[in-house]
Amino acid sequence: MTILEARGLRKEFGGLVAVDEVNLTIQRGTTHAIIGPNGAGKTTFFNLLTGKYKPTRGTVIYKGQDITQLPVYRRSHLGIGRSFQITNIFPNLTLLENVRLASQALSGDNFRFLQRTSLLKKHLDRAVQVLAIVGLTDVYAFANTLPHGGKRKLELAILLAADPELLLLDEPTAGMASEQVPELIETIRKIQREGNKTVVLVEHNMNVVMNISDQITVMHLGRVLAEGTPSAIASDKTVQSVYLGELYDLPGKS
Amino acid sequence: MTTRLIENLRENWLYWLIILFLLAFPFLVAAQTGSSPFGEPRGDRMVMRGESVRWQAVMIEIFILAILAMSYNLMFGFTGVLSFGHALFFGLSGYIIGLMLEYTGLDNGIALILGIGLAIAINGILGLLIGLVSLRLKGVYFAIFTLAVAEMAFIFFGRFALTRAEDGFTLTHVPIWLDATQNRITLYYVALGMGIFTFFAIRRLINSPTGAVFKAIRENEDRAQSIGYNTLTFKLIAITIASMLAASAGVLQVLLNKKVGPELLGIGNTVDPLLMTIIGGIGSFTGPVIGATGLHLLDTNIREATITIGSTVLHVSDFWGLLLGAIFILAVMVFPQGVVGTWIRLRMRWQKFTKSA
Repeated sequence: MTILEARGLRKEFGGLVAVDEVNLTIQRGTTHAIIGPNGAGKTTFFNLLTGKYKPTRGTVIYKGQDITQLPVYRRSHLGIGRSFQITNIFPNLTLLENVRLASQALSGDNFRFLQRTSLLKKHLDRAVQVLAIVGLTDVYAFANTLPHGGKRKLELAILLAADPELLLLDEPTAGMASEQVPELIETIRKIQREGNKTVVLVEHNMNVVMNISDQITVMHLGRVLAEGTPSAIASDKTVQSVYLGELYDLPGKS
Repeated sequence: MTTRLIENLRENWLYWLIILFLLAFPFLVAAQTGSSPFGEPRGDRMVMRGESVRWQAVMIEIFILAILAMSYNLMFGFTGVLSFGHALFFGLSGYIIGLMLEYTGLDNGIALILGIGLAIAINGILGLLIGLVSLRLKGVYFAIFTLAVAEMAFIFFGRFALTRAEDGFTLTHVPIWLDATQNRITLYYVALGMGIFTFFAIRRLINSPTGAVFKAIRENEDRAQSIGYNTLTFKLIAITIASMLAASAGVLQVLLNKKVGPELLGIGNTVDPLLMTIIGGIGSFTGPVIGATGLHLLDTNIREATITIGSTVLHVSDFWGLLLGAIFILAVMVFPQGVVGTWIRLRMRWQKFTKSA
């Protein structure tokens, strides 16, 4: 069953066509990776799905509803959560507060001017629970004191707190030390399986994509170059020539 | 009930102590200096002479500046919205209350109460409207927009014949019980009450779920949106409340000086709360209050002083601006997070030190 669909998406920046008539269908309960070399348009495409950019043409359909023009904050109310490639947290707030805010966002408690936040126990409990899932325990630490890997985990926790059905992850392992990557992937996989969630991720790191995905879409020059299972993509000649060849030859690129 | 009271006292004992001190202040000064807290009677009128009433005026001014700085801090320190137009709400409310008292012919008491209500309501709506048309602008662009609006009002009232242009007009219809030249002590307690209300209202708001969103917007607006907050709504709430609080400060200012003029709308009434907030400690509850108190005491005590070097006598007021600038630069260098921020940082370091020792 389809959960998210892009129909003929096109995005122009001035004269540059970053995304060119992309069609994509994502099945519920699967992990779907979008890969491509630098400048392939995958981040732009991703931002069209999250609502950060509005497409020049085309539509985005979520659960049968046209969400192309919906603002960012409304999408999260529909069950779409996103993470960011560049770590995007609330730096001068505690881990607890970072995640608690995400839990509160969709709850209808936002306009209780006279209520003390500390008395809203359900959001605190939810925050502690989610932080435990991603493996962060020092909940009273300030977010900016975390090491990079910890910030990536916090990013994931913020996303999970709202319990989204569809998770859009923008390079979840970006900038992480390679020995930390498997742990994070395992966490993502666990979240996807146990919550029966749909995960769409844009990735650069080939190993991540091969291990975790059910479907892979390869983008090149703003278009879809190939689509299929990880094994099919790995043996695809065109893909190898434009993408795998380049990257697999560069050790340490991941 | 009693346990809650004890809990409150334990948590807030310092605040209660300060409030008690401020309540007793006019009488403490009176007892100390042998003056009357009500001024001196002259026939059937009072003359505001003596140390107690002089200090009451200084303190009322501090309360006004503290309210203004706290309202500024609500926007800038807690929500991260930088505005250069705060004087607009302050000054406009002064004009509203002045016009109500002097130009409507209503009974003094009714005009006063209506004026206060109108000043706060109109400025709240104005803040909301300014926010609606301009809060989509980010950072410094919003700041410039608010500056432009405030300067427009400044220029308009500087030429508006009805309010006597740049001369302004004096208030002659303030009800006698609130008249700063007759019953200054009433105004003292009204201003103190408003200051206390503002402090605790902002604290309550910031510690509420709504306030948590304010801080999230300050920290990272994009992220706040992506987890589902319509950040514009929350910024509008912040600017509306801040402009209403600034309006109440403007009302008090006009009642204290009994004078309305375009200088109320001047850039100084934006810059002062900004500097007080930064020096006192941005994004803290006590910072703006400490900043307002410190700067105003400095202003009233040093400005009139003279320095004699040999045979030359220097008047501090001649180079006051220069001195103030130097103080700001020094304060920002010594207390980069403001007085309160630096204090918290030092205390945290001390706790770490004692824990590790």
